[in-house]
Parts: sequence; C-alpha cells; structure tokens
Amino acid sequence: MKYYARRLTFYVITLWAAISLNFFIPRLMPGNAEDIFRAKMARKGELTPAMEKSIQLLFGSDDQSSLWDQYLRYWNNLLHGDLGTSITKFPAPVSELIGQALPWTIVLVGLATVLSFVIGISLGAWVGWRRGTWVDGIIPASTLLQSVPYFWLALILIAVFSVNLAWFPIIGGYDTFMFPDGPVATWEFFSSAVYHGFLPALTIVLSSVGGWLLGMRNMMVSTLSEDYITTAEAKGLRPFRVLTTYATRNAALPSLAGFSVSLGFVVAGSIVMEQVFTYPGVGKLMINAVQDKDFALMQGVFLVITVTVLAANFLMDLLYGFIDPRARHNG
Amino acid sequence: MIRSKGRTRLLTAVALASGLTLLATGCGSSGDDGDKGSASKGDGVLTVWAGSQTPIVANFNPYAPTVLHAALGGVYETLFYYNKASAEAPTPMLGESFEFNEDGTELTITIREGVTWNDGKPFTAEDVVWSFTNDTSKPEYLASAEVVDPTTVKLTFTGPQFTNEFALLGASWMVPQHVWKDVPDPVTFANEAPVGTGPYTVQSTSDASYTIVANPDYWGGAPAVEKVQYLGIDANTSAESLLKTGKVDWAGMFVADPDALTADGRLGYINTPQDPTVLYTCANVDAGCAGAQTDVAVRQALNVAIDRGVINEKAFVGLAGEISPTFALLGRDDKWISPDVEKVSPQEANAAEAGKILEAAGYTKGGDGIYEKDGKKVELTLTSVEGWSDYNAAAELIAAQAKAAGIAVTASTVTWDEFSDSRQTGSFELIMGGVVGTSVADPFQIYRDWFSGEYTQPVGTQLESGEWNFSRYSNPTVDAAVNAAAATNDEAAKKAAYATIQTEITRDLPYIPLVINATQTFFDQKDFTGWPTEGDLYAFPPSWGSVSAGVVLSTIKPTE
Amino acid sequence: MADDDIRTREFVTPATSSSPVAEAVADGIAPSIRTDGLVPDVPASDGDVPSAALAADAPVTAPPRRGFREMLPRRSGKLVVGLVLTIGIVLFAVIAPFVTQDPWNYDNPVFEPPSAAHLLGTNNLGADLFAQLAEGAAGSLTVGLVAGAIAVVLSLFFGIVAGYVGGWTDEGLSLVTNVMLVIPGLPLVIVIASYMESRSMWIIAVVLGLTSWAGSAIVLRSQAKSLRSRDYVAASRVAGEKPLRIITVEILPNLLPLLAAQFLFAVVLAILAEAGLSYLGLGPSGAITWGTMLNQASQHNAFTIGAWWWFVPPGLMIALFGCGLSLINFSIDEIINPKLRTAPAAVKSVRQARKAQVRGEGAHPAPAQDAPVDGDDTGGNALEKERVNA
Repeated sequence: MKYYARRLTFYVITLWAAISLNFFIPRLMPGNAEDIFRAKMARKGELTPAMEKSIQLLFGSDDQSSLWDQYLRYWNNLLHGDLGTSITKFPAPVSELIGQALPWTIVLVGLATVLSFVIGISLGAWVGWRRGTWVDGIIPASTLLQSVPYFWLALILIAVFSVNLAWFPIIGGYDTFMFPDGPVATWEFFSSAVYHGFLPALTIVLSSVGGWLLGMRNMMVSTLSEDYITTAEAKGLRPFRVLTTYATRNAALPSLAGFSVSLGFVVAGSIVMEQVFTYPGVGKLMINAVQDKDFALMQGVFLVITVTVLAANFLMDLLYGFIDPRARHNG
Repeated sequence: MIRSKGRTRLLTAVALASGLTLLATGCGSSGDDGDKGSASKGDGVLTVWAGSQTPIVANFNPYAPTVLHAALGGVYETLFYYNKASAEAPTPMLGESFEFNEDGTELTITIREGVTWNDGKPFTAEDVVWSFTNDTSKPEYLASAEVVDPTTVKLTFTGPQFTNEFALLGASWMVPQHVWKDVPDPVTFANEAPVGTGPYTVQSTSDASYTIVANPDYWGGAPAVEKVQYLGIDANTSAESLLKTGKVDWAGMFVADPDALTADGRLGYINTPQDPTVLYTCANVDAGCAGAQTDVAVRQALNVAIDRGVINEKAFVGLAGEISPTFALLGRDDKWISPDVEKVSPQEANAAEAGKILEAAGYTKGGDGIYEKDGKKVELTLTSVEGWSDYNAAAELIAAQAKAAGIAVTASTVTWDEFSDSRQTGSFELIMGGVVGTSVADPFQIYRDWFSGEYTQPVGTQLESGEWNFSRYSNPTVDAAVNAAAATNDEAAKKAAYATIQTEITRDLPYIPLVINATQTFFDQKDFTGWPTEGDLYAFPPSWGSVSAGVVLSTIKPTE
Repeated sequence: MADDDIRTREFVTPATSSSPVAEAVADGIAPSIRTDGLVPDVPASDGDVPSAALAADAPVTAPPRRGFREMLPRRSGKLVVGLVLTIGIVLFAVIAPFVTQDPWNYDNPVFEPPSAAHLLGTNNLGADLFAQLAEGAAGSLTVGLVAGAIAVVLSLFFGIVAGYVGGWTDEGLSLVTNVMLVIPGLPLVIVIASYMESRSMWIIAVVLGLTSWAGSAIVLRSQAKSLRSRDYVAASRVAGEKPLRIITVEILPNLLPLLAAQFLFAVVLAILAEAGLSYLGLGPSGAITWGTMLNQASQHNAFTIGAWWWFVPPGLMIALFGCGLSLINFSIDEIINPKLRTAPAAVKSVRQARKAQVRGEGAHPAPAQDAPVDGDDTGGNALEKERVNA
C-alpha cells in the first residue's frame, strides 16, 4: 500500500504544481490584457463607444483584488467546476468550449495514435524479423519520416490534395456547408467527419509511425537473439509461430508502455496540426487563447491537458503495479 | 502478455468511449433547428469570411466586443450610413434627416416611418431614445434624449458635439426597447436570437459557421440574396485557399498576389486603401522622450530620405496607396487639404535634401558617413512587430535608405506585446505602426486622437482608453485649432483650423507618413452582381465592415 | 529510502552474473554499457513505473576499462549516411552564410523560381532563399545545440545526482523531474513563449532546454542507481573517494554513449519544437531559422501558389538533419546494445553462407545476451516526438 500512497501523493503534488503554474504564468504576463484586447478589436474594425464601455466592464471586475485573493478564488471556482468565461469567445463558458473541442481531438488524435502504433509495431516486427535483409533499408526512410515537422507535412498535404487536386477539404472537422447548423447524429455527418479527418490523421500517422517502427524493430532484433527463441526454433516451431507468439509479444512490451503514455498526450492533441487544418480541437483552442491572451480559456485548456496526462499516468501506474509487482518496490 | 494486450484494448476502449460521450454532448450544444443540410454551393447561398475564427460562439449583442459580424449592419442598423469610402453625404437608414442647432449642443433627428422590428413590433422614437440612453450606450456628453413627436427625437449635449456626429448617427445601434429593457446585464447578454431592423435575421449558429436569412419585411425591400453563411476560418492561408477553390464568395483580407486569385474571372477584386502606415516617433522631450528623433531636424531629414515608392513596391507588393502628410485620405478628403502644405509625401528618396536639413541644424557628417552633433551620432532603433512581414520589410528598407542619407537606423523586430507596451508607455525611438483611418470623410478624428496634447500621457504612463497620441506630441497651436474645429460646423472655419494643424504637423512630423495600407476585398462576381466597384463605391467593400456590410448585402443580387 | 540500495542491488546483481562477457569482448566491442535505450526513456510518470522498472533491471555489465575509441561507433552504412548528412548540414550552416547574399537583402526580383543567380529562388520580398536557408541553418542549429546542451546538463544533474545520492535528495529531485515530465511540454513552452516580451533565439533555446530534460533524467537516474551498486563503485566509495569524483570518474564515462544519444535526440527535438513555435508565430524574433522561414512561407501562401522553392527546402533540411542524427543515434544504439548489430549481421552471413551452399556452423551465432528487455527506445522516441509536435 505504501507504493500506492506514494504515487497518490506524487499526483496530488503534481496536480497542485500544474494548476498553480497554470494560474500564475498568465497573470505574470506583461501588458494589460484589456489594452491588448482593445487594440486587437480596433484592428478588426471600428470600436464603437458602447463597445469600449463593454470592454471596460468585462475586464474591470477582477482587477481590484490581490493576486493571492484571485488565487484562492481560482481554486474555489475550480473546485466548483467553474473554469470561467472566455473573453474572446464571450459569453461562452470555458468548460463548454472545451467540451465541444475535446471529442474532436480525442477521436482524431486518439485514433491516429492507435493507428500509427499498430502500423508501426506491425511493420517494426516485420522489419525486425527480416533483419539483415534489404528490408533494413526502411530504417533510414523511417528516421526521415520521424524527423519531418508535423505542420510542414500538413501544409504540403493540403497544398497537394486539398487545393490542387481538390480531393479533400481545406478546413474544419465536418462539411459546414452541408451542416450549417453544426453536428447532427446522422450517417452523412459521420462520413463527412471521417472525410475531413483523413488528412489530419494521415499527418499524425505519417510522422509518428517511424518512431514506433524503429523501436519495435530494435526490440525484435534483441528479442530474436534470446535463448528462448533459439529453443523455439530448435524445437521446430513454424517461423510464423515464433514470430507472433514468441518474439513479437515480448518485443512489444516496452512499446506498450510508451503507447499508454502517448495516449495520455492525446488531449494535448496536435496543436500545430489542428491550427493548420482549422480542426475544431483542443489544441487550436489553446492557440487562440494564447494569441488573444484569453486567460480563462488558456488556463482551462492547460488544466484539462495536464489532468488527462496525469490521469493516464496514474491509470498506468495502477495497472503496472498490478501486473508487475517489482514496480511497487523499485524506487 | 495477455494482460498487456487486454490493457491496450481497455485503454483504447476507454479513449473511444469517452470520445463518443463527449461527441454526444458536443452535438447537443449546436444552434436551433433550421432546415438541415439544405445549404450547399451553387444554390444561391453567399458564403462569407469576415475574420471570425473557430469556434464560433453565438453572440449578436451589438454592444459586445465579441459580437459576430453579421449583427452589425445585417441585423442591427444605425440611423445613417456614413460611407468611409467616399465623401458623399450620409445615407438615411433608420433616420430620415438630422440637424444640429447653432452651437452644436442639440441634435434633432427625424426617423423613418413604417419600419418594423423583425419580431413584428413597430420601430418607434422611444426605441431611438432607449438606444441612446441605456446604461451601455449612453455617451458621457449626452445630457438628455427626448421624444418630440412620434417621428422626431431630440438629443441634448453638455457641449458642442459636431465632431461626434458619426458616433451618434453612424455608429450607434438602434435596439428595440421592448426586448432590451428586460435584459439584466446588456454587456454579458449573448442575444442569440436578435431582434433588429436590418435586412437579415439569424437562422442558426454552429461552432464552424453561422447563417443569416433574408428578412422579408425589411423596410428597404427584402434582400435578393436569401441566405448568407459566415464561416469561421483560422488562418489567412486557409481563407485564401477557400476563395481560390470557390468555397468562399466574399472576404476582406490581405492577399499578396491578388491576380492569382482573380485570374479565372470568377472572383472580382477591389482595393480601397484606408489606414495610414507611419513611423511613430517619440517626439516630445518635455514628455520624457529620448533619442535623436526628438530633434525635429532628424525627423524632417528622415522624411525626405525615405523612398516611399520602393517601400510600397517591395514591402507592400505595390498595393498600398500614397499618403498625404496631412493625414487626410487622398481622393476622399481632398477638400480638407490646405493649399499651403505638401499634398502628397515625397515618393522618392532625396538624400541630399536630408543632408542639407541636418547640416542646417548643426549636424556634421562623421567619418563613417553618419551625421553627428555634439559628439552624438544620429542613431535610431526602428522596431516592427515580428511576423508582420510587410512592416518588417519596410523597416529594413528604411534602414538602408536612411543609411544612404547619413542616418543610422537599426531595424529590429519585437513581439506584439512589446510593441503594444512600448507605444503605450512611450519607451521607443521609432516604431513601424498604423494610424486608424477615419470613418467619415474628415481627418478630424486623427488630429484630435493622435496629435493633440490632451490625448497623450508622459513617457512611462500608459495611454488611457481612447487616447492614441503615442508620439507624445504636444503643440498648443494644434490643440487650439483642434478645439476650434470641434466647436464649429462651418466648413470654412473648419478648413482654417485644419490648415493651421496641417502646417504644424507637416513641419513637426511626430508621425512620419509612409503609405496608406491596402484594404482588399474579394467577391464572387460570377454568381452575384451589384458589388461595390471603383466606379460605384456605394459602400465600403470588405466583408468585415460594420454597417457597410449590411448595405452591400442588401444591394447585391444572385445572377440569373 | 535507505533500504532502496539493497533492493536495487538484489535486482541487478543476479542479472549481471550470467552475463557472458567474454563472448561480447571477443566480438570486438567494449562490453561496456548495457543501457536500456538510447533515447530518453518512456517518460513514464516516475521511476517507479514500469519502463523505469524495466530500465532498472537492465543490467549494467562490467565497467569499460579501455580506451574511449572502443566506444566509438563502428563504421556502418547507416552511420556513414548519418554522419554525412549531419556534418554536411553543419558545414553548410557554418560556411554558406559567408558566400551567400545578405539574407535580409530585398533588392532582388520577388518570387523568382530557382536560377543560377538565386539557387533557391527568392521570396515575396525578394530575399535570396538560399541565403536565408543558410542563415536559417545556423539559427536552427544554434537553437538545437543550446537547448540540447541545457537539457543534457539538467538531466545529468537531476538524473545522476538523484540516482547516486539517493535518500531525500532523490525524492526531491525525482519529484521535480516527474512534475516536469507530466506537464505537457509544448503547451507549456507556448504559454511561456507568449509570456516573454522579447524572444531572442537564445531565450527560445533556453526555454526549450528547460522544458525537455525530464525524460532523459529518468533514464539516467535508473542507470546511476544501478551503477552505484557496482563493485568498482562500491570499492571507490570504500576507498574514501568523494562523491563528486565517483560521479565524474567512475559513473559518467559509462554513461557517455547514452548521454551522446540523448543529446542528439534533444537537439532534434529542439529543432522540431522551434519550428513548431515559429509556425505559430511564437518563434525567435529578429532571427532567421528554418522554422521562421516556414512561417513566412505559409503566411504568404507559398504553399497554395506553388512556390515550392520557398517551403520545401527548410522542411526538408529539418527532416534530413533529424534523419542524420537519428541514424547516428541508431549506430550508438548498436554499441550500447551489440545485438542490434550482430544479429542482423549474423542473419546476413547465414543467408550468404546458405547461398554459397556452405553449411556454416554459425546458424545462430548471435551472442546470446542476458538482457531480458533491452533497448527501450520505442516509447521514448515516438512519445517525445509526440510531445514536441503536440
């Protein structure tokens, strides 16, 4: 039990640190959010006196109390599930904005992560199995893929497939011309969402599959030189059985650990990618918030991201503590 | 191993399940039910990008800073329309006529008869009074507003308000009293189903777009374009691609190579330069400014050393307009330009002239070709906002041109926040910056907000809301002339005051004028006709224009 | 935590004893270090979690008491390609800026496709893109190197000190490490970057370095913990050597290949992260990097108007440089874990032997090593990248 208590303490401290960081960083930012907001608005068009007044009212309320009071109030609101109201997307509550964005990110980035893991592991197992043959030539290619900047790939995919060939849409998570009223629960909508998610998903898969592939390949090579594999071969087991039952299973173990952590980072999404595709996910929300100095939104998004990562780690801790008793003892 | 596999499956399942649940909640929050899936390209729906970014949040409150564009002009209207693209008289909208009293302390407005709100109730003089006097909109200088008779409203001010004619008549939204009197907090009111008098009504809002439909009872006759969809797009790049592929029909945005978009003839294009780009100089030693630019001779030398033609050609892709050092918009405001001053800033560099100015002021050329005085070199730092590549390039060009004239200018880029902070507090030497163009054919607002000593603060103190005099320029002659112009409605008197101001500012150059920024608009001329053109600028063309967008929307027609 | 050492020793010792050291040596490779991977390990939440647990029981065999040369990667096709790419790009960054135009010179015609005068054409303002690419190479590499160096130094401190000293120091340092690990990297960098008033290249590099060390610190910590229980380290301790000396003289040399690998990886990550930041407009101001070039290209729609000479080269350079470093890493991995090299070679030789109709005796000649689970770079690689690109 000591193990679990320690882990729990750790998570509580981490959560506290993350939330506090979350609170203080934006507040220590230089520049007056109100000025910045007004100037941004002025750049977009006329700012009527009534709007000027509204801005003052919107911002004016929370500037009176001390930072410490604000911090306490922030915690109090958090504990009541209140993430505040977005200034740039006024009057939407932050929780609603995040609630709308989360599913898009989780489904898209989640599926793409799973897909790229499965593809990477399968390919990696195969490349490892065929070690020492021409297949090893895949290695340099996959290191290249692995080092390609996500957003660059995304921009090129858009330029080629969306703009020039017009095979895929340019922006959005679904066809807003067909569904001007937003998401509906129909098959048409679903297929539109899949169609719109294809290029973003392809971007993620292409640029992350290399890492899984290389890792798995190396593990396979190591594993295949284990004694028990030799034994299995010596027993006359069919190569396919050795590959699947003996080698791949064992070689995939460390990758699985990495995979479960990477699932935790799914919500952090693919910030830059979402920006490129105007994909309605959490990452884009974060960029908007940062660019417009929308504190409440920024804090909310950051909080959700951190909490998901922590939750994924915690879950993994529990599971591993269960699967592998050594983990509980090894400090 | 079996366990591991199970764990993977479990995690995947959890991820998917949570995703789906959330998706379901996401679905619930979309707008009201309209006729779903009926809008697609080619069926007469006009798609517009007015600069909104996703996610779109329904907000049609004209008093909210985050109001969606269609509300301003599409749904809500003002009493008059002031066309900032031309010098013509204001067009009556909900108002028929207006008249100031002799000293500008009273404004009598006659309103249009027979107008109804889109909920069927009549538009009345009481609504007008409410629109001027509610807590959110009431200007400080407004003493009272009263209904004289069912079609006449009289506003009384605390002082002469000739200069606020546009703010009162062209930028005050008319809202229905019967709806707004029950709104507890007009600032936080999202007003998702707005009741206005405009040519359109809101149909639905989703996270990615919102749709407005023609108001059949519009006082000006139902608009011909029945449905307009406003998109949320996050990057100019995407918007440009969508314009190119025919998904967006109307957008006001900067495009470096407009010809590439208009090549196939579907898209029309118009450029209506409006906003000046200048060099802010921290000009006033008394206010605490420091640096070589505080010497008027240095500013004058810089002014003639700059090659504006090259700057426009290179940095602004030849799309910017020529600027007048008087800050009157050339073409539109020509009548306000005093005959005694230079009408247009020099378009070519004149390094010799710059040298003469500096030498006359006691500067001598040092061994490195840079002028100096009392052992101090004329060295300046010119900042521009990182990522504003046209400004960055212009700054680089200016640095090179200034060097040729013996002035050392170092161009550097800063973040937007740093830029904002330094101009607010006056801690800068030179900044590449913009001046907000006026919404009416009169440069007065620039003179008052940007040049008068009452609209600035000492260096180190942030400018207050509504103050734009970043240069800290303070000149009693200018201040007096600004006040004189504000107190009169007589054109000759105003011209005299402006001439005084122009003489002062073209000599002192607290803002060194460069160019007038391009304001580009792209529109689908194949499927829709009646867009504003160079020959017929009946309204300011960009899709984001407030009021003007409503005028354009109610004028254009689908092609048969 | 006092009993921790014993546990660790219990874990590690039996595993090591079975190590067929002689075989490895006969192979011509220093049997030096068996680490658990070249990259920052799976940034699991804590040393307690499985990946680290796996790492901890990865045995560390006898210390290398031989020349440094022994540790250098041996020549292989991958290494050669990696070195050529890396050195080529570094030389390009160092030399090219001297022979190109001023990258801020806007006197050329705009949007020129590549020609003899402008090898990579010009951009919207008429700047020579070859010059910008060279200047950008210098910028990107500087950011990468500085960030990588900071990350490695920090991970050394947090990893080795924590792992070696143990006790409350370990607890404290590990906590910091783990907090840094779970707080999502790129979002944090984005927030910090937007917080900074001025962003020079150096500041960006420092921020990237400060936020990217945690993963490798965890790997180093488990290595240090494991090394600390080696006999020769215990001997030095008994001999009364100071901890600092033990760390620098006894422990660090053993971690060199691992450190090198982590440094290279950190460099790639920093370059990618810088590119991402720049794309979002949060990159270094006043400097040219490959990232800012891509940002400019996309702002001016080079992608849709087909000005490929503007957006392809910077992205390709990033990819190629990353590829080069990864290949070097791969070769380092092969030293750390000789099986990676010997096994494919063995398979190859078997195949060749079969082809030659000669019944070779080495049907399975790969030296059977002991490590049960080794070379765990999988998660690390992919995951770290994910965090960066997030």
